[in-house]
Amino acid sequence: MADLLLRVRRLRHANGWIYGTMLVSACLSLTASFVLSVDAMRLAADPGAALSCNINAVISCGTVASSWQAHLFGFPNAFLGLVAEPVVITIAVASLGGVRFPRWFMFSAQVVYTIGVLFAYWLLYQSMFHIGALCPWCLLITVSTTLVFATLTHINLREGNLFLPSAANSTLAGAVKADLDVVVVTIWLLILALAVVLKYGSALFG
Amino acid sequence: MGKQARTASRERRAAMVAAAQRRRTYRIVTGVGGLVIVGLVIAIVVTIVSVAGKEKPNLTGASSNAVVAPANATATGAIVIGTGDAPVRLEIYLDYMCPYCGRFERANSGEIGRLIADGTVRLELHPLSFLDKSSHGTRYSTRAANAVATTADKAPDKVLALTETLYGHQPVEGSAGLSNDEIATLANSSGVPREVVDRFQQGEFEAWVAASTESGFKSGITGTPTVKVNGVVFTDDLYTVGPLTRAVETAKGR
Repeated sequence: MADLLLRVRRLRHANGWIYGTMLVSACLSLTASFVLSVDAMRLAADPGAALSCNINAVISCGTVASSWQAHLFGFPNAFLGLVAEPVVITIAVASLGGVRFPRWFMFSAQVVYTIGVLFAYWLLYQSMFHIGALCPWCLLITVSTTLVFATLTHINLREGNLFLPSAANSTLAGAVKADLDVVVVTIWLLILALAVVLKYGSALFG
Repeated sequence: MGKQARTASRERRAAMVAAAQRRRTYRIVTGVGGLVIVGLVIAIVVTIVSVAGKEKPNLTGASSNAVVAPANATATGAIVIGTGDAPVRLEIYLDYMCPYCGRFERANSGEIGRLIADGTVRLELHPLSFLDKSSHGTRYSTRAANAVATTADKAPDKVLALTETLYGHQPVEGSAGLSNDEIATLANSSGVPREVVDRFQQGEFEAWVAASTESGFKSGITGTPTVKVNGVVFTDDLYTVGPLTRAVETAKGR
């Protein structure tokens, strides 16, 4: 049992696992962005396409897709995912192949991705509390973005890429080594799940 | 042992103590985190169970009532308005929560009223309840449809006015919807007699609404609003005045 736990922990800190998780999550985000982009284009070409309330979807009438929040920059947000996720996929694949990127590169990736995560959570908040509809593909993006963020942070703390004071970095890296990041991410995702069930439980399980 | 070696071993010991302390801190944090995780999992399970449990009495409550249809309903689950010998049969499937049904109604209700009044159209109204899932468990679609069905049963000439008023005060999809009192007030203001409004609370036709929603979707419609003119699905613009009227007039001329 203890042996198994040890092996799991060793696996979790292996580059193959970390970049593999990053790769899978980024692919999921890319798929979801692609679906949402196609939907957005269909909706733009023919507003009637989504005008009937579809009973099979948890959301009705493309409520989320036609909100202003979904076009914050004047084009569908999903286009950002189409642009950004392939970069993450490239980083993950190159790293799996043994490439090590310079510090400034990984630091920039962390900064940009952090902005992306904040944006994803802002959208989630908007769709939950202002648009009032649930969009499964958006939820998938929220979760997979969180996982990419977690793996990227894992790497960057371990390698000291974040230009943090050395004491702070060693404390955080120690915490990651002690698997506290797993605890944090698990709590984070469970809070997300709880929020969804609280808000949409009656729609999902009723 | 030299002074230097002593200092080095003291430093090593201090580092080991610090490392042990750090490990202890991490273990405590992990433990607390584990408790939080367990708490969250319990909260999620409890929420799901309570939601699933809460919904059931509603459903069985509705379906344990035998299905009673309003006086002038068709076997297909529609409320009929207008004379039987009108040349055009207009079928409308709607849900009182559906925003695009509201847009359709606000655009076309005047024309539909006129076409019924001049004997061109016999309206078959299918009030559906599939958007019950979008009103925080208050089943607004069912309550609104039941109010309309009750009105059709006892005061059929007020159905159109009530429908128009309900859409005029349509709640946002995904909100709790209008309360029973608000529905009653709106019904009073649309001229539905008080003794009919008082019957809304009994939910006599809720089972009928559920049954006709089911048969509506079984008959092949995929969403609302769905409009059929003499049995043919109307696919032109539903949201501006004119196209539907023209389609009805074409059908009449045939």
